[in-house]
Amino acid sequence: MTVDALTPKQITVGVLALQGGVIEHISLLQKAAAQLSSQQSTESSSTSTPQFTFIQVRTTAQLSQCDALIIPGGESTTMAIVARRLGLLDPLREFVKVQHKPTWGTCAGLVMLASAASATKQGGQELIGGLDVKVLRNRYGTQIQSFVGDLRLPFLEEEKPFRGVFIRAPVVEEIMTSGSSASGNTQDGSEAGQGGDEIAKLKERQRTEKVEVLGTYPKPQGTGEGEDIVAVRQGNVFGTSFHPELTDDVRIHVWWLKQVVERLR
Amino acid sequence: MASTSTSNGPNGQSTTDDFTVKAGLAQMLKGGVIMDVTTPAEARIAEEAGACAVMALERIPSDIRAAGGVARMSNPSMIKEIQAAVTIPVMAKARIGHVVECRILEQLGVDYVDESEVLTPADDQFHVQKDEFKIPFVCGCRNLGEALRRIKEGAAMIRTKGEAGTGDVVEAVKHIRTVNAEIAQAKAALASGGELAVAKLAREIGCDVELLKKTAELGRLPVVNFAAGGVATPADAALMMELGCDGVFVGSGIFKDAKTPEHAAQRARAIVKAVAHWNDYGELVEACIEHGEAMRGISNAGMKPEERMAGRGW
Repeated sequence: MTVDALTPKQITVGVLALQGGVIEHISLLQKAAAQLSSQQSTESSSTSTPQFTFIQVRTTAQLSQCDALIIPGGESTTMAIVARRLGLLDPLREFVKVQHKPTWGTCAGLVMLASAASATKQGGQELIGGLDVKVLRNRYGTQIQSFVGDLRLPFLEEEKPFRGVFIRAPVVEEIMTSGSSASGNTQDGSEAGQGGDEIAKLKERQRTEKVEVLGTYPKPQGTGEGEDIVAVRQGNVFGTSFHPELTDDVRIHVWWLKQVVERLR
Repeated sequence: MASTSTSNGPNGQSTTDDFTVKAGLAQMLKGGVIMDVTTPAEARIAEEAGACAVMALERIPSDIRAAGGVARMSNPSMIKEIQAAVTIPVMAKARIGHVVECRILEQLGVDYVDESEVLTPADDQFHVQKDEFKIPFVCGCRNLGEALRRIKEGAAMIRTKGEAGTGDVVEAVKHIRTVNAEIAQAKAALASGGELAVAKLAREIGCDVELLKKTAELGRLPVVNFAAGGVATPADAALMMELGCDGVFVGSGIFKDAKTPEHAAQRARAIVKAVAHWNDYGELVEACIEHGEAMRGISNAGMKPEERMAGRGW
């Protein structure tokens, strides 16, 4: 069997469309897919690129069509409340944490994908989870502190910095270690998982996958030393504080679509 | 949600970082409802209902109308209390042309300033030069020329003026229809007569040629465009989405004539639902039931010209 035979022919990527910057993501996904297919055709004529379809997701039925999902920027409180009323929160949790489908959250999407958040609205707010991190909402303050800054993102494997657009942005303030006790069982668990049912195996995979820091940005003056975490990945889940969809730079969308293809193999 | 993308990036437009950040927040508000609130308790009701932002003001427009006199920027202490009560963006209104009220709101760290005809204008010659501020601005419009004049001054978000505080949606509908018709006209001009035809139209409607050309190319306003002014019910909100607005401001419609805070909360939830599902009539039935009795309202047809707020500004 060749590697190519494993590559899915059709991949449907959804953008959660309850509120926020939806079409910006769809527009960049389309550009990224076009770039991937032109890259592939020049690299090797025998390699096939999957056919990508991009849809807006407002219902459980639409979510079930998706192989991967983007949760866009917007207001995380609004998205959570609307998702709750639609009965979408549990299907989203299932999608991310049980089915382990590739999911990327930008800004409010990162908040939704965190397992905990601080500076939430009074009484807290519902999250989807999937990343064992705690996010700090509105880390930089109000809109007047929103900014654009150059990010060095090693995973892009390019010198050229990425223009990070931070709008009332959250950051990852803590990587949670609750999964570490489970990872003690990793070896046994993953071997047992081989023969077990698929969901158990997938759950096991999640436990073995640690949170990777994929991007940082210097803390603003007067708010401590060092860098804030602004991009993380844990297995199938990717989150960014900033908004690549508000730029015309397709590199992160291209990278993520490649990750999606890899994970769906 | 409109079918084409807005502002920067996805359209390949070059914008400054400053404008990317200003217009970007408006992009993140799309598909949402921005509610007028006058107290921290009302702001909390709005947040719990799923509002994507609140507009802090001393009186809702229907009460400003009833009270008469001069309507000004709200007291900063009240705005601060609302900022402390919620985590969603807080907007506030300044009088048309009142540069200092805008600077005060900027200093307060509100997330957006609405240079608004709902307040009594402070300058009968000039709107505020908004690109000199770090804080973003939203402005009202009745037609494309007015929208593009405001964008030229630096507005990063546009809304229809409608007729605030009436609960009568007819003016908001008229304004979005006018904007849409003029965008279609600009597209036709660009297609048939190129830049010369666009320049001629720009002279006629009194706006910047480059912005009009960009609008013609995009087939929509180059910034996010919300509905405002008379939107009172879930059906009104969905109607404005159907006409191509990116989201909705609801002023008096939530709290005016609400019997109890719970009734206001129900109305607020219903309008959020209606905007999220504007083309799903099953959901809209639910939203209308949840909404209950609407504000009584004032018909536009019977209003004297001097009673109209939309005529303020140019």
